[in-house]
Amino acid sequence: MKIEFVGATEGEAPMTWGQRLMWRAVHLMGASQNYLNCPFVFPVYGRRELSTVLDALRVLIERHETLRTTFSDAGQRVSREGVLEIELVEAGAERGLRVAERVAGEMAHTVFDHGAEWPLRCTVVLKDGRPFALACVFTHLAVDYHALALLAEEWKALLRGAELPPVAWQPRDQAGLESSDAWQARSTRSIAYWRDVLRDVPVEVFDHPPGEPEDPRFIEVIMDSPALAVAATRLSNRLTVSSTSVILAACAEALAGVNTRSRVVMQLVHNNRRDARTREMVGTVGQDALLVLDRPGPDFAEFCRTTHRAALQAYRNAHYDPAAMTVMREKAGGHDLDAFFNDRRASPGWPALPADADLSVAKTRTYTENAWPGVRFKVFFTVGADAGTGLLSIIADTAYLPRATVESMLRGVEARLVAAV
Amino acid sequence: MTEELRVRLADMIAAASNGTISPDEVLSGRHTLSALGLTSLARISLIDTIEDVFGLEIDLSGDLSSFEDVDTLVAALK
Repeated sequence: MKIEFVGATEGEAPMTWGQRLMWRAVHLMGASQNYLNCPFVFPVYGRRELSTVLDALRVLIERHETLRTTFSDAGQRVSREGVLEIELVEAGAERGLRVAERVAGEMAHTVFDHGAEWPLRCTVVLKDGRPFALACVFTHLAVDYHALALLAEEWKALLRGAELPPVAWQPRDQAGLESSDAWQARSTRSIAYWRDVLRDVPVEVFDHPPGEPEDPRFIEVIMDSPALAVAATRLSNRLTVSSTSVILAACAEALAGVNTRSRVVMQLVHNNRRDARTREMVGTVGQDALLVLDRPGPDFAEFCRTTHRAALQAYRNAHYDPAAMTVMREKAGGHDLDAFFNDRRASPGWPALPADADLSVAKTRTYTENAWPGVRFKVFFTVGADAGTGLLSIIADTAYLPRATVESMLRGVEARLVAAV
Repeated sequence: MTEELRVRLADMIAAASNGTISPDEVLSGRHTLSALGLTSLARISLIDTIEDVFGLEIDLSGDLSSFEDVDTLVAALK
C-alpha cells in the first residue's frame, strides 16, 4: 500500500535551531540514535474506510512541510511530492491499540536515513479488516511531542471531514526568523547568560570519581507514585508556582544530596514554543535551558520559589544558535553538564489522577529497566506523560550513581514533596 | 493613559496565554496571573512581548511579583 502526496511548496533552507540541536544529537548517538525516534499512535475514531484514513494522512503530509523534508549538512530540503509506503497489519484477537503501540515501537528501532528517507514511517492497524489505528514513527528532526499533539488534533478533525485553515508557519519560516537581527540578538543574550553561569560551576557533574559500574552500566529507574502527583499539585497551588518547578526543586535537592558542592547545575529540556508563530508549528523546536541553583536551605517552600525564578531565567535563555553555543562551551572549558530534567507532560497537572488518590505512599512502586543502548547520561530526571499517576524516572550511569542510590533519590523526591504539603 | 495601558497589557497577557486567560479576567484583578493559569512559558512569552513593545530589558533575577497583576505591571512600566 502507498500514498502519493503533492504539497503546495518545495525548497531548501538552513536548519532551524531546533533541527540543528537534533542533527548534532543524531550524529553524536550514531547507531543508537533510534533512542531519539518518536513513536506515536493516532487512533481511528469511528468506523472509517481505509481510503479515508489514508487521505487524512496524505493531507497531513501535504499541509506540513516537515513531513516531506529530508536533512543533510546543507540544511532542510522540502519536497513538493513523493510516495510513502504504508504497511497494513491485522490486530487479530489482540487489543488494537496495544498492537498499534507495539508496531510503532518496533518501527522506532530502525534508524532513519535522514537524507534519503521521508521523516515518518506508518502502518495502519486493522481490526476485523477495518482501520483501527495509525501507528507511526517520526524522526525527532521533524517533530517534537508538542508537534505530535498538534498533528493528533488535526488528525481527529480530518477524520471528521473538517476543513482545516492553512498552515501559517513552517520550519523554513522559522529558519528565516532565526536569522533576523532580533533573533540573533536573542541568541547572543542567551549565550552570554550560559557563559556567565559556566564561569562559576565545576566542569564535572559529580564531585566523586566514577566507581565500578554495575551491569548494565546505564539504567532507568522508574517510580510510579500517585502521592507525588497529589503532593506536587497541592504545593503548586499553595505556592503559586508550576508543578514542574516544584518537582524540579525536589530533584535538584536530590542531586545536591549526592554531591558536596554548593551549586546544582542542570539542563532543562524545554519545548521553547514561546513565540506565537512557533506555538502552532509542526516541527522540532525544543532546546536545552541551563539551570543553576545554590544548595537548598531547610525552607523547601522558599526553594521552590527560587527554583521557579531560576527556571524562568533558564527558559528565557533557551533560544540560541546551537553552533555558536557549542563554540562558546568549548572555550568555556567543555563542561559536561550531563544532568538533565525533562517534564514530558503535555499540560499542567494530572487530569486523569483517580479521585481517591492521596498522599499515602503505599501505592508507590519502583522498577528498573535497561536504558536504551547508546544512552550515556550521567543523570537524567524525567516526569512521565501519564496523566493518571505521578511518574518520575532517573536514567543513571551506575558508575556514578548505583541503582540503590538512584532508587533512594526517587523516594527522597517523593518524601520531600509529601512532607512539604 | 493608565487605562489604555491596562487594556493593552491585558491583551498581551491573553495572547501570551494563547487564549487560556481572557482580557476581562486580567482586568478584573480578582486573581493573580498564576492563579488564572499563566504558565512559565506564557510568562516568558509575555516578557518577550513587553521587552519588544516597550523597548526595555526585564531583569528576571529580581522580584517578579509585579508580573502577577495587571495594575502592578502598569506601575512597574510607568
